[in-house]
Amino acid sequence: MSLAVGEGAGAAAPSDPVDPRAYASAVLNILDDSALEKARLIDTQRAVFSLLQDIADEKDRLEATQKAVLNVLDDAAWEKSHLIDTQRAMFNLLDDVASEKARLEIAQKAILNILEDFDLEKKKVESANIELRGEIAERRMAEEALRKSKTEAEAVSKELEAFSYSVAHDLRAPLRAVDGFSQALLKDYGECFDARGRTYLQYVRESAQQMGQLIDALLSLSRVSRGEMRRERVDLSDLARKIMAKFRQAQPERQVELVVEEGLTARVDRRLLEVALSNLLDNAWKFTGKRAAARIEFGARAGVRPRVYFVRDNGAGFDARYVDKLFGVFQRLHSTQDFEGTGIGLATVYRIVRRHGGRVWAEGEVNRGATFYFTLEEGNR
Amino acid sequence: MSEKYILLVEDNRWDEELILRALEINRIANKVVVAHDGAEALEYMFGTGAYDGRDVMDLPTVILMDIKLPKIDGLEVLRRIRADVRTRLVPVAILTSSKEEKDRVVGYAAGANSFVRKPIEFAEFAQAVGVMGLYWLVLNEPPPPVEK
Repeated sequence: MSLAVGEGAGAAAPSDPVDPRAYASAVLNILDDSALEKARLIDTQRAVFSLLQDIADEKDRLEATQKAVLNVLDDAAWEKSHLIDTQRAMFNLLDDVASEKARLEIAQKAILNILEDFDLEKKKVESANIELRGEIAERRMAEEALRKSKTEAEAVSKELEAFSYSVAHDLRAPLRAVDGFSQALLKDYGECFDARGRTYLQYVRESAQQMGQLIDALLSLSRVSRGEMRRERVDLSDLARKIMAKFRQAQPERQVELVVEEGLTARVDRRLLEVALSNLLDNAWKFTGKRAAARIEFGARAGVRPRVYFVRDNGAGFDARYVDKLFGVFQRLHSTQDFEGTGIGLATVYRIVRRHGGRVWAEGEVNRGATFYFTLEEGNR
Repeated sequence: MSEKYILLVEDNRWDEELILRALEINRIANKVVVAHDGAEALEYMFGTGAYDGRDVMDLPTVILMDIKLPKIDGLEVLRRIRADVRTRLVPVAILTSSKEEKDRVVGYAAGANSFVRKPIEFAEFAQAVGVMGLYWLVLNEPPPPVEK
């Protein structure tokens, strides 16, 4: 080795013949140099080792990093597939959204149409509203007018009441005097009169009594138009029988067949119906006065709504040509000579029936009797 | 003092005459005092005015009275008679033209003992007055005299 080294150090070897000393010293120099070199090498080696160590460390780190990267990449792969799934789902969603959008558009169009319609409708409603407001205003005015006329009507009604009160009191007093003093004349001074004079006085008395009946009938007529209606269930058959019983009691000598249909009840004002039925039955009683076999019937037509009641007699009847005059005040189709009466009874019946919302009409023929029909509630004939 | 008599309160002189005639026909000979309006009736009953100093303890057996009277109407007369301890028990029969329900209600409510309508026909009129006279003067037991 040392030779190779000596050979190697040619630069220091003299070209002269070998001087041992110089040689030695040259070798020593070389040795010195190589020692130095060796140390440097060792240093270098050491550095390399340390470098290598560093590199190994680095490599570990790199491996760890690689591993981590691999892990990351692994994760990324999973993530990627997941992402793909998600993306697919997204695409699906977008697809769905697209169809949804199309649908929405359709719906929107429909809504727009509806809104348009609505707008139209709204306009219509608005104009209807305006109309309605107009109507309400009109109605208010009408109501106001109604209130006013009601107040006026009440005032008139009060006046009428005072009027009939006065009639009831004051008109009768002179009649009592006319009748009373005529009677006194006949009784106390009868011999002062001849037959004709006594007849005249008799006429005076009859007139006073007739006027008394008129006053009573007029008061009754005005009374049926006044006052409140109180409807209650009333047995009209029973009422008719009771009224007829009174007539029989007043004229027990008369033979009258009475036929009353049972169970005719109605929701009516009892007081008014008593007046109406009394008037109708009184007419029937009166106009059958000249019949040997008088017959009076109270009943109702079968199967008609609203129910049609009737009072029928086989008495004097009336001329059907004058039927429209029957229900007017003071209208008479017979002279007082033939049949007494005030001409107010049927007008009273008419008012009572009208107050119940019903109708009254009559059929008759001279000497063949009369039938008076009436209803007691709203409805057609 | 204990003589039975009628106080007739009637403003209509024809009716007054007819009532007196009806009493006569029915042989009711009791005394009849006539007052021609409500005020006069009260003066009589309480011994004031034209009747100042009258013995108010000498009460009529019955008062026959119309409702519609001049000055003070029959209902007011009735109320004042009922409100005074001296006169509150005197029988009062209302004899009037009307038979209006309203009159009857307020008449009885004010303390009337009877309510009779004057008929127009004189025979009925005379009968009504006769029946009333006999009832109140003969049949009916009057209230006991008021203690002083």
